[in-house]
Amino acid sequence: MTWQKRWLRLTHVFFVILLLVQLLPDRSAKETAQGALIIFAIAVEVLTLLASAFIKRQESLALLLDIVGFIYVLLTVWSLATAKFNILNDVLFPAPGRVLAQFAEDREKILVNIASSLGITIEGFLLAAVVAVPLGLFLGWNARLGGAATYISKFFSSIPPIVYIPYGIALLPTFRSVSVFVIFLATFWPVFAGTMSGVLNVDRRIVDSAKVLNVSKPEMLFSVILPASLAQIFLGCNQGLSVSFILLTSAEMIGARDGMGYYVKYYSDFGDYTRTITGLLVIGIVVIAVTFLFNKLQQYLLRWKR
Amino acid sequence: MSTNKIEIKHLTVNYTENKRSFNALHDVSFGVKDGEFVSVIGASGCGKSTLLSVLEGIYQAAGGTVEIDGKELHGTGTERGVVFQHYSLFPWMTTRNNIAFGIKQAQHGLKRSERLRIADEYLGKVGLTGFGSKYPSQLSGGMQQRAAIARALAMNTEILLMDEPFSAIDAKNRVILQELLLSLWEGDGKEPRKTVVFVTHDIDEAILLSDRIVVLTAHPGTVNEIVEVPFARPRNRAELVKTDAYGQFRNKLLSLLYCDVAERIGGEEVVI
Repeated sequence: MTWQKRWLRLTHVFFVILLLVQLLPDRSAKETAQGALIIFAIAVEVLTLLASAFIKRQESLALLLDIVGFIYVLLTVWSLATAKFNILNDVLFPAPGRVLAQFAEDREKILVNIASSLGITIEGFLLAAVVAVPLGLFLGWNARLGGAATYISKFFSSIPPIVYIPYGIALLPTFRSVSVFVIFLATFWPVFAGTMSGVLNVDRRIVDSAKVLNVSKPEMLFSVILPASLAQIFLGCNQGLSVSFILLTSAEMIGARDGMGYYVKYYSDFGDYTRTITGLLVIGIVVIAVTFLFNKLQQYLLRWKR
Repeated sequence: MSTNKIEIKHLTVNYTENKRSFNALHDVSFGVKDGEFVSVIGASGCGKSTLLSVLEGIYQAAGGTVEIDGKELHGTGTERGVVFQHYSLFPWMTTRNNIAFGIKQAQHGLKRSERLRIADEYLGKVGLTGFGSKYPSQLSGGMQQRAAIARALAMNTEILLMDEPFSAIDAKNRVILQELLLSLWEGDGKEPRKTVVFVTHDIDEAILLSDRIVVLTAHPGTVNEIVEVPFARPRNRAELVKTDAYGQFRNKLLSLLYCDVAERIGGEEVVI
């Protein structure tokens, strides 16, 4: 990479424009917390410059700079439309600085809510995976039961898991257990179906290869069929994970006492739209982070694939 | 006849495809002596791979029996090592772990460190030192087959079944692998040689490697003839192919392979 490619990028121009825009006088009567925005922008820029010095692959650098550039443009337009020209309703649309300041102010509350949401998701998800994968392996491998199981799982997975919530509330004592139950159901069927179809699609030649090695039945299932169908299992897991977030945040908006969905719903009921937007952004960041980590795990476990 | 290591008696195999059943092998009988290298050749569709599947224990015969050491064969067994054309190795295990996994199946009770040591030893024998931590997808087709052979040998089975192991390899590497297999099978003369059944459609490969060649004809697969290979070991490919005897023997096999083709086509000109 030439030094021009590394350092002379449009993203940095956007950064300067964002700062220059902050020199304009505020027109909004509300607090705009411009300082928070400037501190945030400088922090992002410093991190980006540091990363630019170390990233080796040109594509990775371009990706990072494009994303950061997008954030600068978004913040510029946002602060122009709110704080600087007051085009939008300033109750419904807080200035970017206020959201950032809110983020800092509420950080402990936000962390508690994230921990609550993630705890429920992970618990329901892991329970589902631990039950669905072995069951899918076993039923998929036993051809006779497998056919019926495919149709049964199609039936149950066609029921949107959110409709279980009222019944779950009647059935289970706490909101937390209802949430875990619903996430369990939401994850179980896609993971189960993914495992089944993975098992049914394992290359005949791999099965033969294992048979001639005289592997025991548990070894056949867990050392051969499981890794051979892992890609499809992950497909089901990814599906389950994304449905889980939708469900959990919806459920939290209905009856929870904490969680990210609760945070958004609670403050929008009070007309505190700064916190509402803060909550939305946090949910986005958390979901991206979890998906990213999960994809890393998937890449690691499937590293033997071409 | 009880001295044979493998005894195939009146073997008949039916194959079902698209709900139509047809006779893949009909009344096939031959024996393989202990320490003998026997190739099975035939045109595609003659049932040679089906025959090997029965010996491997993954395909059921409709009639007849296969005996190993006088005992009737039922299912798979650890006295037989197998090399396939594809997917002998598990793609999710490194080369070393693939071999160690094979050893674990053949010899229960060996420590993991001991299995890995044997795996490395056999990787060395097939010229793959330093490739133990690679996954099969990171190796060329030829290297994958080397590793597959290493696994079959490391399992230390008395019988080796090979189903067109070199058919998907380019011509140059195929020759190298044939010579590697030959030298590993011949060994240093101290250990008894393994009994090998080797399926191929490559006549030259069969001649170079085998003590005897079983020629199958198709529809249904039957033994056309069993031919003794008249060339002394150790064989040198480059020298051997230049001799007249080699050419004559090769032609004889060719005519055995394709005589039935000419008959069935019914006198029309056949270009082989």
